[in-house]
Amino acid sequence: MIPGPEERPEETDVELIERWKRGDSRAATRLVGRHSQALARFAASSGEREGIEELVQDTFVRAFASLDSFRAESTLRTWLFTIERRLMLDRRRAERRSRETVPVEESDYVSEYGALDSLIAEETQERVRRSLASLSPTQREVFTLRVQQGLSYKEIAEVVGSTEGAARVHYHNAIQKVKELLRNE
Amino acid sequence: MNNCTNSEIQDILPDLEHGKLSLHARQTVEEHLAGCESCREDLRIIRTVKTAAVFAPSIDVDSVVRQIPPYRMPVPAKEAPARGRVAQWLVAATVGVLVIGGGALLKNRQQSESANRFGAVLPDSQTMIAESAPPLPDIRSVLGQPAHTPALSLVADVQELSDGNLQQLMSELENFDALPNSEPEPVFAVDTAEGR
Repeated sequence: MIPGPEERPEETDVELIERWKRGDSRAATRLVGRHSQALARFAASSGEREGIEELVQDTFVRAFASLDSFRAESTLRTWLFTIERRLMLDRRRAERRSRETVPVEESDYVSEYGALDSLIAEETQERVRRSLASLSPTQREVFTLRVQQGLSYKEIAEVVGSTEGAARVHYHNAIQKVKELLRNE
Repeated sequence: MNNCTNSEIQDILPDLEHGKLSLHARQTVEEHLAGCESCREDLRIIRTVKTAAVFAPSIDVDSVVRQIPPYRMPVPAKEAPARGRVAQWLVAATVGVLVIGGGALLKNRQQSESANRFGAVLPDSQTMIAESAPPLPDIRSVLGQPAHTPALSLVADVQELSDGNLQQLMSELENFDALPNSEPEPVFAVDTAEGR
């Protein structure tokens, strides 16, 4: 007996994309439900404080509009992170321009670490937060993607536009720095 | 505390926390952790960061899905704006003028060739003026010359006329209707050889 739409086992992202292309809007609902919170967390971890819902929505609209260019060489979530990161960069550039400050550089990305600002309760977490705040923007971004999102080094390199080796080095430097800061406290 | 030098294990500690390791790799890492305080510390940090409740708003999935356009949604055909319609009419009118004008020129050329076959030596511009002008009265009646005088055509040398004759000719020409009611008959040059 063929299972109905609600009884289907967990479908892969690629299968859901194909279903959506055939006109099944429920597939889009499944995809958005599967990845939207991860995108929101990534945005929050990257220092976005306002307009996260709008950012996630724009990410999905752009992604679905260009799904033909998604060749499934990486996971859909990695691809979505890449799109969201570009949108965040655009947003930050626009904010910088509106404030008539110096042009934003790629290295300025995630200039503030707001991810854990409002949530630290325990002392250990507070110390971790301070340690993460001391990381460079790139180290923090790589560390967050690796630890919070569980992305591979290859996927992180794709998201941040770097190499797998560089992502690995950033991760190791980040965790060593966090460890040293925690030991000294 | 000594730092661990096993970078391979350090590399995959986050994967252990996210349950992405194979059974064999997991056993290998767990065996290493049993004897490595440095990696256990790494794992504690990873768990703390991972479980930290990052404030992120809850996303309304249905709201997002409503904004997603259907796959390859055809762009609705937009009604041509008013300016576009005017431009189309202008193009059509231009084409019409070119066709009609081209036809007229062709016809003129054919008539000019026909005139040349009769031995006329009119330049093209004069021929065109002659064709578009209304039929002219006999110049002899205008000038009051006898009927046996060799005929003068429009292309006769007006410099030979006296001032009085020219004024009379001009006053007669002013009485003509510049726009003929019908297509004028082609005017052929009159052979003036007899008068010379």
